Amino acid sequence: MKKTIAAAVALAIGAGIIGAGAGLAAGTADELITARQAEMKANMAAMKAMVSMLKGETPYDAAAVKAAAKSMADAQAEGVAKGVWDAATQTGATVKTGAKPEIWSNAAGFDAAWKTFDTAVAAIAATPDEASFKAAFPAVGAACKGCHETFRAAE
Amino acid sequence: MRRRARALATISVLAVAGLALAWGMSTPHPLTAAELPAHTPDVANGKLLFNAAGCLSCHKPDAALAGSDASLPSGGSPFKTPLGTFYPPNLTPDPATGIGSWTDLDFVNAVQRGISPEGQNLIPAFPYTSYARMKTSDVLDIKAYLDSLPPVVSAEKQAEIPLPWLIRRGVGLWKHIGFDTAQWTPDDKQTADWNLGAYIANGAGHCNECHTPRNALMVFDWNRQFAGGPHPGGEGKVPSLRDLVGRGKYSDAADLASALQNGEMMGYEHLSSGGMGEVQTNLSKLPGNYVQALADYIASLK
Repeated sequence: MKKTIAAAVALAIGAGIIGAGAGLAAGTADELITARQAEMKANMAAMKAMVSMLKGETPYDAAAVKAAAKSMADAQAEGVAKGVWDAATQTGATVKTGAKPEIWSNAAGFDAAWKTFDTAVAAIAATPDEASFKAAFPAVGAACKGCHETFRAAE
Repeated sequence: MRRRARALATISVLAVAGLALAWGMSTPHPLTAAELPAHTPDVANGKLLFNAAGCLSCHKPDAALAGSDASLPSGGSPFKTPLGTFYPPNLTPDPATGIGSWTDLDFVNAVQRGISPEGQNLIPAFPYTSYARMKTSDVLDIKAYLDSLPPVVSAEKQAEIPLPWLIRRGVGLWKHIGFDTAQWTPDDKQTADWNLGAYIANGAGHCNECHTPRNALMVFDWNRQFAGGPHPGGEGKVPSLRDLVGRGKYSDAADLASALQNGEMMGYEHLSSGGMGEVQTNLSKLPGNYVQALADYIASLK
């Protein structure tokens, strides 16, 4: 049993080294694509929570706004740490991606789009009341839209 | 020998006749001035339809050109298609580089017949196939609105497509099978709201151009109207607009109207990619009852 575990660990380390040698940050292209899709899904859930408050379907809750904004900021930081936008993730082996080549051919534009997003998320996290939350929300939506228009392909 | 000569002569005659037929069939037939309605232009309605038609999305200035006003349709931004790259022309009233010297008839022939003032067939990357369904008076209103804009000097760039002359002639042939010039007619069994939505969607809004699939000859497959299909830009897919509520994409027509009005600003994340983001930006500029009518019509598609 111990031997098996040791072998598995050795194999995993070996795979990790091979992965790193191939220029991948922390996993195969498929794994990274899946990770960034999970990041986007987390963002979508956070957006839904805020939109629901915006529309009055759920009552405004300052803590929930902060939690949603934190979830978006955390998901993005985690993605960056994992290297989910690594150039090797332009196409997956088996996982499909809607990431457009412009992400890598226009890296400065892509970075700027993320900065717009970061600023908008930080601003909404800092809103103290419902009125300021409502005023800050369109900038978050516009940041999502601005990036998706340019850097995400049609389904 | 004589038989051979006769065969050769027959072949030549047939070839010439074939070419003449192709020439005749590919020759554009513009409208005449007598076919234009008498109309007093309404600039405000023209602006509304300019937004409904999304003119600016294609005729925007090239983003790479510094100092150009992105709110004016001065043209030049690259429009990529599988056929090649087009540079939609300047729609501002500059007489030399824009449409300042165009007559009403020139404009209607371009927008509703796909024929340039020089008498050439336009390539239907410009969706005159949908604009033909508009009321000609509405098209004249768009021209009045364009004429009211400040003129911008922006020379037309030639499209980067193979054999443009042959393609334009080919478009003339294609028009016989792929281009219906009949204007849209309201359905008396439906409400005024539904008819307004249908008119905008099928005419100025040119939704069919991307959302209705085409056959191998690039002719709309009306049996599958709005059923979605490959993206005309060559990558990805365009979603079906049928039964959006039944399929759970939107909770009801009001939800769809909110999506068209707000797009991703209200978290409707499917309305940004593939060019729909610009469409949604344009639609958000329409009066609320137009957006609602459009949503009611689209939500009614089964």
